[in-house]
Amino acid sequence: MAAKRILLVDDEEDVREVARMSLEMMGGFEVLPASSGAEALERAERERPDAIVMDVMMPGMDGPTTFRALRDNPATRTIPVILLTAKVQPPDRAGLQALGVEGVLTKPFDPLTLAQEISDLLGWGL
Amino acid sequence: MADVLVAGLPDGASALLRARLPGVRVHPVGSGEALLDALGERAWSLAVLDSALPGLPAPDLLRDALRPAGAPPVPLIFCARGRPDADTVRALGVRQLLFHPLDGSELLRHAAAILGVAPAPPAEAERRAEVSAVVASMWERFRDAIFARVATLESAAAALREGRLDDAARRDAEREAHKLAGAAGTFGFHGASHAAAEAEALLAGSVPPGVEEGHRLRELVASIRAGLERSPGAASPEPRVVDEPLPFVLIVDDDRELAERLAEEARGRRLRAEVAAGLATARGVLTRERPDVVLLDLTLRDPADDALGFLQELSREVPPVPVVVLTARGGFGDRLEVARRGGIGYLQKPVAPAKVVEVLRDALQRQQAAEQTVLAVDDDPQVLAAVRGFLEQSGLRVVTLNDPLRFWEVLEQTAPHLLVLDVDMPHVSGIEICRVVRNDPRCNALPVLFLTARKDPETIRRIFDAGADDYVGKPFVGPELMARIRNRLERIHLHRALAETDPLTGVANRRKSEEVMTHFLHLAARQQRPFSLAVLDMDRFKDVNDRYGHAAGDDVLQRMAAILQRTFRAEDVVARWGGEEFVVGMFGMGAEDGVRRLDQLRGRVAEEEFSATGGTGFSVSFSAGIAEFPRDGRELAELYRAADEALYRSKEAGRDRVTAAGTPHPA
Repeated sequence: MAAKRILLVDDEEDVREVARMSLEMMGGFEVLPASSGAEALERAERERPDAIVMDVMMPGMDGPTTFRALRDNPATRTIPVILLTAKVQPPDRAGLQALGVEGVLTKPFDPLTLAQEISDLLGWGL
Repeated sequence: MADVLVAGLPDGASALLRARLPGVRVHPVGSGEALLDALGERAWSLAVLDSALPGLPAPDLLRDALRPAGAPPVPLIFCARGRPDADTVRALGVRQLLFHPLDGSELLRHAAAILGVAPAPPAEAERRAEVSAVVASMWERFRDAIFARVATLESAAAALREGRLDDAARRDAEREAHKLAGAAGTFGFHGASHAAAEAEALLAGSVPPGVEEGHRLRELVASIRAGLERSPGAASPEPRVVDEPLPFVLIVDDDRELAERLAEEARGRRLRAEVAAGLATARGVLTRERPDVVLLDLTLRDPADDALGFLQELSREVPPVPVVVLTARGGFGDRLEVARRGGIGYLQKPVAPAKVVEVLRDALQRQQAAEQTVLAVDDDPQVLAAVRGFLEQSGLRVVTLNDPLRFWEVLEQTAPHLLVLDVDMPHVSGIEICRVVRNDPRCNALPVLFLTARKDPETIRRIFDAGADDYVGKPFVGPELMARIRNRLERIHLHRALAETDPLTGVANRRKSEEVMTHFLHLAARQQRPFSLAVLDMDRFKDVNDRYGHAAGDDVLQRMAAILQRTFRAEDVVARWGGEEFVVGMFGMGAEDGVRRLDQLRGRVAEEEFSATGGTGFSVSFSAGIAEFPRDGRELAELYRAADEALYRSKEAGRDRVTAAGTPHPA
């Protein structure tokens, strides 16, 4: 079975690279990196990934804004999205969840468990 | 069942093959004679031969034995030490060449591939260990950028304490703290991550932070820095604003005000700038340090200052010093004059300082790219042509090689700044080449970037395990390849010296030297070579500073560093570990030889004449202690303690001498 493809969106190169490495190595996923909301929209439409994992706080279009744009585009409407946020307070997380994303994960993440957590949220047996 | 013949291989390697190759019988032999006999006995699926086998048969005998009549030739994996003889390797028909020290998983992988079996997979725990190892190696890539964020926070803390942190700067600092919290946590520095999160909250507070918060922020930053420092036992230094980065701009202009504005603008854009008001001063600077670029105002008023002549002088240096010219005239003839004499940029006054600095930075970029050489190794000539095509466009010099067996020869000839390697190549894989490079103290800092058609987890693991810095998928996207290579080369130029050298003396700083020496200790253990560590301390240095002034003290340290570098070999590590303390690491040298070397050094230092401002002459001496691996310790910290203790005995016994650890009385 072909590897699941994840579009990984984060403007911070170091965090993005560690996440990419960990998803590739622990999850066996194929990872498409993007460094901005705008790039994410473009790549999502072009590549139709199986899921999108996206940072909330980004310059330009932030995570929630990009998410709404993804939902507005029929081509990308059904792609499940997981947000990554540094906010730990329940009200903040609930607010993000209420946008209609598949899940909200905390940053900093653990490179050893990130793939499993994403897989669990998406219902992909890993 | 497949039969595998193993000759002269270390026990661990044999055991690994036995444990992880399914459906395979492993037969070890211990001599060349036994090897030849065994080859005649049955049909072998694979032979693994180590160059250390006693009585290694002559190549032609071996070749014949590997090709029995009426049977397919036996595939051979050869484990070499040092450089391979390309002709022998080809003549034997070696399928894969591996190098000592062997990487077990590489051996396993190649053996499995030849046998057409899949190696038994590593346990979950091993996979996790691999991920952790990769994360650790990625830290090396990103640490400079992360420390730069810490520096930004330090500046913000200082500004807060002085009551001059404006709103925009506060938000910048808040963002940096946020990013630090994320990055530090991701790399496993949880203490630093929490401190950064607290710093972010402090800066984000609804009440604008004041002087009190400035003190708290300073504490938090010290805490972050301490959390990120990996050196064992390193005391957290007094937080200071980071020094200017490497590129050094010399501004030659007698208009003081303009020159100062330009210098300030340059410093704000991460350049080091010095001003010379006339050519005499400029030449003086040149003798001390070579600028990376010079901004030369042609309208110098002193008639004795022939600016165009100076421009010509600079372009005649080897290599030429790039010069950007500033002038009030703009005629075509004038531009031509400047170009003829080697000027690389021309700016006509009036021009905004920001624009000037932009042009200077541009010139620096071009200059760096022009000097950098990339060596690309791939058995596919089309890939090499494509790599060359893209990289040469941006002024990089590219040397391509499609026969990996000639790697060592070409490496020596080209002395590249960066390696691009294909993963799988006939005879020697890129992985093996990378491992050999990383194991060689002479070139182990060479950045390595892999080109790989496969990006599955195992391939990525192998790439990073081998010590690679980065990888790009094949078919590669030109701009991505370019960006990664340029980033890496820029990082070396702009950040390496900052991160690795002591600003005053130019020798390695403590952090870098600890890294390098730790690596050397591993090598010494593996190769069973000695390693000596010496700690040197200038005698009565406080008196030198008090009596002759700090400038004289600095001069002593700088010249001491220069003498050290002259006295020790290129492969020795010379570093400054503290105010007046130097550490020298000598690979392959025992304490006895080290003591002789240090005595030689003492003689040279005694001959040096120093002078204070005012002309008073004086001389200096140093005391030293030296410890040897493994006799006096196996870890760096242990060796340092032993050497330091011997240093103490040198001081007690009257200074100006060298003592070896463990000896009851000084030499």
